Amino acid sequence: MKRPAPATVRWLILAGLLVFWELFPRTGIIPELFMPPLSKVLAVLAKDWREYASELAVTLYEVACAMLIACGAGILAGALVGGVALLRSLLLPVFSSLYAVPLVILYPIFTAWFGIGSESKIIFAGVYGFFPVMLSTAAGIRTIDAQLLLAARSMGATLPQQIARVIIPASIPTVLTGLRLGGALTIIGVVVSEMLISSAGIGYLVTRYRTILDSAHVFGAIVVILLLSILFDTFARAVERRTLVWQTAGRRQKAGEVVQIAGSPAPAPV
Amino acid sequence: MANVSPVLSIVRDEPASAAIEVAGLTHVYDGRDGKVPALTDIAMTVGAGRFVVIVGPSGCGKTSLLMMMAGLRHQTSGTIRIQGRPIDNPDPERVGVVFQEASLFPWLTALDNIEFPLALRHAPKAERAERANQMLNLVGLQGFGARYPHELSGGMKQRVSIARGLVQDPPVLLMDEPFAALDEQTRMTMGHELLRIWSQTAKTVVFVTHSLTEAVYLADEVLVMSARPGRIIGRIAINLPRPRTYEMMATDIFGCLRDRIWQQIRKEG
Amino acid sequence: MTRFQLIAIRLLLLALVLTAWQVLPRNGIINPLLLPPFSDVLSTLWEILGRPQVHEAILVTSAEVIVAFVIAVPLGAAIGVLIAEHDYAGQIFKPLLFYVFSVPKSIFLPMFILIMGIGFQQKVAYAAFSTLFIVIMSATAAVESVRTDHVLVARSFGATRWQILTRVYVPSMMPILLETLRISMIFNFTGVMIAEMYASRTGLGYLIANWGENFQLPQLFAGVILLAVVAIAFNEAVRVLEHRVSAWRT
Repeated sequence: MKRPAPATVRWLILAGLLVFWELFPRTGIIPELFMPPLSKVLAVLAKDWREYASELAVTLYEVACAMLIACGAGILAGALVGGVALLRSLLLPVFSSLYAVPLVILYPIFTAWFGIGSESKIIFAGVYGFFPVMLSTAAGIRTIDAQLLLAARSMGATLPQQIARVIIPASIPTVLTGLRLGGALTIIGVVVSEMLISSAGIGYLVTRYRTILDSAHVFGAIVVILLLSILFDTFARAVERRTLVWQTAGRRQKAGEVVQIAGSPAPAPV
Repeated sequence: MANVSPVLSIVRDEPASAAIEVAGLTHVYDGRDGKVPALTDIAMTVGAGRFVVIVGPSGCGKTSLLMMMAGLRHQTSGTIRIQGRPIDNPDPERVGVVFQEASLFPWLTALDNIEFPLALRHAPKAERAERANQMLNLVGLQGFGARYPHELSGGMKQRVSIARGLVQDPPVLLMDEPFAALDEQTRMTMGHELLRIWSQTAKTVVFVTHSLTEAVYLADEVLVMSARPGRIIGRIAINLPRPRTYEMMATDIFGCLRDRIWQQIRKEG
Repeated sequence: MTRFQLIAIRLLLLALVLTAWQVLPRNGIINPLLLPPFSDVLSTLWEILGRPQVHEAILVTSAEVIVAFVIAVPLGAAIGVLIAEHDYAGQIFKPLLFYVFSVPKSIFLPMFILIMGIGFQQKVAYAAFSTLFIVIMSATAAVESVRTDHVLVARSFGATRWQILTRVYVPSMMPILLETLRISMIFNFTGVMIAEMYASRTGLGYLIANWGENFQLPQLFAGVILLAVVAIAFNEAVRVLEHRVSAWRT
């Protein structure tokens, strides 16, 4: 017998999960407190969509600000660290050591300094997303094929022209990967910090409804966050795919998954 | 001397107008264990419109020498004059370079790659497109201008790279093992194509290679370099008639020339 | 620039930062209530290390980290190897895993609390859960990093399955395996910290969250320094090992 296509099986698994989500709580195999049935969660989302939307707006605002900080500072610092040999050999090992520290322990400091409003979330998530962007940018600049620069110089390109016409386009794919990882981290950072201490945002909804044991509303918020992060990831990957052809062609080393995990733009803990 | 075939004679008479003159060139670099001599006392003259091939063992410094002629690297001492003037920095008006790997910018189409040197000089768009299209036709790639490098075969990429080297119409074209990464058949075809392009453009070409067959097939004159520190240990004139044909490779005289170069390299090794 | 000079400059930079941390709050240029001088933080660190409450927290946190690690790593490695070695399973699950991997695990924290309460089990379960996926992905990558030509060469010389496993697979995978351990520990530690900070009655994460809420900044900074030093020390120790093992691998 021929095996069904993997994609089909994947959809079947997904559909199966949704069915179980509905049936298990309904039949009492899983208590509704642990996991309310899918239909109930969707009903709650439909009924209270205004509340979810207004809290989501707060979260999105914080995410947008944090991404601006993470991307701006990350690209700038990454360009410096990647481009200046002294800074690179001085700082890169320090950054990879600091990567071991769970950044979330800094969040109480930020709330003490900036209060429990949006500022502390924006700064925490900005710091959270900064590192992957910076490390990717530095890696992107470092791994540019030296032959391309040599070729540009042979054609008489000045330094600004080398930067604008070779270094920037050649590092775009790696930087985009960094923006995807960093962007995902800023979303996580905002949500986690809202869950920990806050008075608004979708993460706050999760915590508030959890404390009053309203599982349906908790799961409603979880679904919204899931959709948000999947949407962002899909969008970012689509943008990346458009530039993927350069990546394989313009780089000596193929950026496989092993390198992704082993290399500097490390994955996101949380 | 009467018995010696004219094709085997050592070159003595240099043409009157020299496109490239290298004199007393020496290069020393800082290695792990102190100073390493890479090139010693290189002297060579390439007449305008000539096709000169440099061969030598790996690491003999032939690529370094070529990079110095392109103004991309600086020698420790000695002079290089291109078109009568010293070259200190890359000057695309005088020298075009074709690299071993095609070194095309993967984010630009074939046509944009060829236009690249003109764009650096802010040439008007219309002029750029016209020149680039001419070059695309010259290298036999009409209709492929909108393709990206990853959509081209190895041979086609090198054609684009040659077109890019020629787009500013420099009198001198330097080629650093441009066909080394190609398979044998493509390599032969590309050599033939290069000769056609050369005959249509009348450039002075300096071509570095490992392949002795390629050297004899292409060159007016072959310079043989020694192992490091690189010196020029032989100059062999290739007086085979032009246009060259694939059939010539099967002739005794072709084999003789090839063998002669090989003996020179072996003697030193 | 030599290695020695680089380290010297790094130490100098560190000294500069610490001096600023000491001098600026002392002179009131920075509010000492918001940033207590470094010396105060150090003496607080010494003081809290003597408290029984902190001893208990260290014990609880260490136990959670270790148990979660011992659960997540073998489980994740087994699943990862299965996916890498079994073509069909790989085709089905790899894309799924990539998606799950990009989803923030912390939003499932309330589920763990609703089901298990806020005790030891819940911390371990959540930390293991948040670590599992990186282990699976790394294990898959480790298996796939074994070069097929090496396996082919070994087979052409008549190596048995066991010999191929011990003489090709294990040495090829060793560097990635060690790195997996290191990165899993980072994930694991982060998981425990978040779980403790979110809802807990003990543990270091609970303490720093509490100190933060009560504006006890000397204690908070002391706790942060303690955690950071432990995390960095573990990470560097494994990295030294990694470096030794991966010397042959380019």
